[in-house]
Amino acid sequence: MRNRLFFDFPLLISTASLMIIGILFIYSSGVTSDGWVFSNEYIKQIIWAFLGLGILTALLFFDYNRYRDLSSSLYIGFILLLVITLLIGKRVNGARSWLGVFDFGIQPSEFTKIATMLFLAHFLESRKNSIQKLSTFSISLGIVMLPVLLILIQPDMGTALVYLPIFFVMTLVAGARLRYILFLFIAGMLTIFMSIFPAYTEMLLHRDLVFNDIISNPQYIMIDIVALSIIGIIAFIGYRWLKKGYYYWIIYSLLILISSLLGSVLVRMVLKDYQMTRLIVFLDPGVDPQGAGWNVIQSITAVGSGGFSGKGFLQGTQSHYRFLPQQSTDFIFSIIAEEWGFLGSIIILLLYGIILIRGMFILLHSKDTFGVYVGSGIVAMIFFHVIINIGMAIGIMPVTGIPLMFLSYGGSSLWTGLIGVGLLLNIHLRRYSY
Amino acid sequence: MRTAPVGVWQGRIIFIIVLVIVTFLGYGTYIFSLQVINATEYQQKAQRVARRVIPIPAQRGEIYDRYAEVPLVMNIPSFAVDIIPAEVPDADRNRVYSDLAEILGIQTEDIRKSIPQRYHHLYQPVEVKSGVTFGTITELAERINDFPGVTWHNKPIRKYLEIGPISHILGYVGRITTEELQILYNKGYDINSALGKSGIEKQYDEILRGKDGERYRTVDVRGRSVVDSSSLDVPPVNGKNLVLTIDSRIQALSEKALGERIGSVVVLKPATGEILALVSYPWFDPNQFYTDKAKEVFTKLSLDPSFPFLNRAIQSSYAPASTFKVIMTTAVLEEEVFPLNKRVTCTGELPYGDRIFHCHRKAGHGSLNLAEGLAESCNIFFWTMGSEYLGVERITEYARRFGLGVRSGIDIPGEIKGLVPSPQWKEIQYNVKWVGGDTMNISIGQGDLLVSPIQMANMVAMVVNSGITFVPHILKEVRDPVSGEVLETVEPKVLQTSSIRKETFKTVQDYMRGVVSNGTARVVITTKAVDVAAKTGTGEVGRNQTEQWSSWFASYAPYKTDDPDEQVVVAVNVEGTNEWEWWAPKAANIIFQGIFANQTYEEAVDALNLWYLRN
Repeated sequence: MRNRLFFDFPLLISTASLMIIGILFIYSSGVTSDGWVFSNEYIKQIIWAFLGLGILTALLFFDYNRYRDLSSSLYIGFILLLVITLLIGKRVNGARSWLGVFDFGIQPSEFTKIATMLFLAHFLESRKNSIQKLSTFSISLGIVMLPVLLILIQPDMGTALVYLPIFFVMTLVAGARLRYILFLFIAGMLTIFMSIFPAYTEMLLHRDLVFNDIISNPQYIMIDIVALSIIGIIAFIGYRWLKKGYYYWIIYSLLILISSLLGSVLVRMVLKDYQMTRLIVFLDPGVDPQGAGWNVIQSITAVGSGGFSGKGFLQGTQSHYRFLPQQSTDFIFSIIAEEWGFLGSIIILLLYGIILIRGMFILLHSKDTFGVYVGSGIVAMIFFHVIINIGMAIGIMPVTGIPLMFLSYGGSSLWTGLIGVGLLLNIHLRRYSY
Repeated sequence: MRTAPVGVWQGRIIFIIVLVIVTFLGYGTYIFSLQVINATEYQQKAQRVARRVIPIPAQRGEIYDRYAEVPLVMNIPSFAVDIIPAEVPDADRNRVYSDLAEILGIQTEDIRKSIPQRYHHLYQPVEVKSGVTFGTITELAERINDFPGVTWHNKPIRKYLEIGPISHILGYVGRITTEELQILYNKGYDINSALGKSGIEKQYDEILRGKDGERYRTVDVRGRSVVDSSSLDVPPVNGKNLVLTIDSRIQALSEKALGERIGSVVVLKPATGEILALVSYPWFDPNQFYTDKAKEVFTKLSLDPSFPFLNRAIQSSYAPASTFKVIMTTAVLEEEVFPLNKRVTCTGELPYGDRIFHCHRKAGHGSLNLAEGLAESCNIFFWTMGSEYLGVERITEYARRFGLGVRSGIDIPGEIKGLVPSPQWKEIQYNVKWVGGDTMNISIGQGDLLVSPIQMANMVAMVVNSGITFVPHILKEVRDPVSGEVLETVEPKVLQTSSIRKETFKTVQDYMRGVVSNGTARVVITTKAVDVAAKTGTGEVGRNQTEQWSSWFASYAPYKTDDPDEQVVVAVNVEGTNEWEWWAPKAANIIFQGIFANQTYEEAVDALNLWYLRN
């Protein structure tokens, strides 16, 4: 019985299938309409895949608990690597995110996800008894925000964003107080809204709304904050005096508002113009059909024109006439959907579904909390990649440049995914060994 | 089932599982709507994106005069040179550009400007010069290996073989503007269409232009052909040829007779409304619009104070002056308000109100009946008729019966209406009452009355045809460009019929003959080739009496005939800015001599012994 379930085969087979499909379509994306193969990316991807599987296998030799002991050194090591990347990294598409020797390069920001997960899991486990404390929650946030900030400086907003769901899911599973998690979540959403909304209305409606001033004019923001703080102080006095619970929630809401106001000021300072435009184009690709909206419109057209059964492998017009941009990386789902149609899309979703659901069941049967925490981080990471990337290809998520794990061309993202799967398999493998 | 270790919130894990499942189901549904429900829409969109339609230009129709032998306008073969930017190797780019510029005789900078850096990867041909001769193309073809990425295509240019005042009839062709496209979009024009901008080219653009063919190409994102789709091609339908009513010989004769004097001539066949000649001076040369200097030429012409773009024959109006007395005479005869043998005595001046009106002959004409009044063009006679016998209402009614104040409907765009003033009009326009002095003015064709030369020709046609006029027209036939077969013939269309008695018109004809045989035009109309009937006119220019007089001549010949088909109306106007007073009848004299003696201008001038016109 134990031997038969030695490996979690559904997880392994789904991962392998996705990798094979990925290689097929990386090949497809490198072929012109007259059959000329102009890109050898698929060969590189095959090499990455085999090397990745080797790493995955190697990871299985040791009990994952051994990695707990290594986690702090790994974390520190990768943080240092991120700093080095910032200093001497190679600039690709405007972001200093690559560290390379000759032609081979890696993206440290990808692997840092795993190191951060391990370290955070280790930390959460050590604070098992004080998990509900604000201090535990704050330090956890700090552990995640350190790499996030370093990646934002590169700047690579997409990759940095992935750390947030990892953090939320891990603290959620570990049992942090919901009100802390919700605070961060709501404040984050509000921050994004307040940062984008004024620019969005300005771009679409070509006029200023009074409401925009309230959340974007520095003078008004000062007034907003002062006013909110005064209400907050009154509520605080009320809370100390009357000890009524609703005062707590009033302060809670006010703090959310204040922090998102401050956050939006910060975001506007940090976000580059093109990133702002991308977010707005996500809201309405028609704003700029020849420019930033082009990718989204071409991608949706590719997906939609695939129909039920697709145009056939290597027969896609959107892709082979090269209307579709970045086919092997960001928009690999579009070419699959165009050539294999709705059936292909569903197969892809099913394979990811299997990986995620199997991953969750592995958590539920893990022998210790460390395994659960690490596993939940991995599931969160894969889930977020899938949702954002496919959502982008079908036009319901902003273009953030996050690859589709296992399918997209690129060694770093593939390896990170495989290490994740390796860890899940490892947790599964050692679920009984006490 | 084993429970999870301490410190793990199982419920929250299950929540995440549900979240994953719900999200995936949502995505699946959305993808289903994209790929299955709305698939057709996106499939069409994908095809549209990848399919380019390149127009194959249709040959524009040629234009002939009434004898349909030698074209007035044709297309001459010419080429345009293109560069396919992506096919020029980057290393050779500078050399190719400068060598090509040298052969084409343009600046290297111009090529660089039409192909900016961001075009360098495009496979869409970019036109760098049009109007290239066959010789230059041969030169290019011989050295084609030196010019990677350089191609050419046929692009015939419009050639106006006759240049001169005839440009006002023919017009010219230009690139369609955005405003024009907005109106014409539904008629199959696009942003690259050529469009007739004035004259016949504009009026009959839809017949002349034909229908562009379409060449289909399936292209990739860089515009490179990827699939052969030539089976879908639609060949162009060439434009049809036009045959005009213009008689080249009479046109040339009239042009020379008017000479370099600002004014216009209309030669009309009253029996059908056909225009035999239509002259307006000054003129423009449309061929210059197809050269490299087009822009400068156009600006210069537009700013010229003598308005060379103005077709004075239909777009200018003037006081008709004494020519209006033809209408006054008709009114007096028809209304029978003044017996034919009754006389008016002209003393040279006429007191009216607190003013004294002067006749053009200071000494006075003496005693005159109606026939003599018209022949001598006596102002006092017609003032008396207008103010005492007819009244303003009847005068304006007769003016309208002769087609004044409305467009004749000639088939050249831009015709103006002129103006027939009336007491109501004056009150609305100036908020001033119509006074007796206004009636005096209109009686001799002055004041606010305005007519165009084409209206003047129609006025005479009304008299010649004894109560009927036809819409003046320039198009005679539409012909097939290849076989020459007549596809459509323009039939005469009645413009106005008049209830005025035929006998009245016969009398007016006699009186108009009197103007030439023993009246004001006696000395000037010297032609023996035909009997001319006419009325002269000398109009004041401007309201401030600058001593400038515009000269009118409204005439027809032969005066009497059994064959209405040989009759010709000639209306001439010479503006008051010219040195030559009285030129209008002199020009008409030459034109009649030329038409009826079948002579050229030079021969006519010789025959008439006009020594002062010989060089």
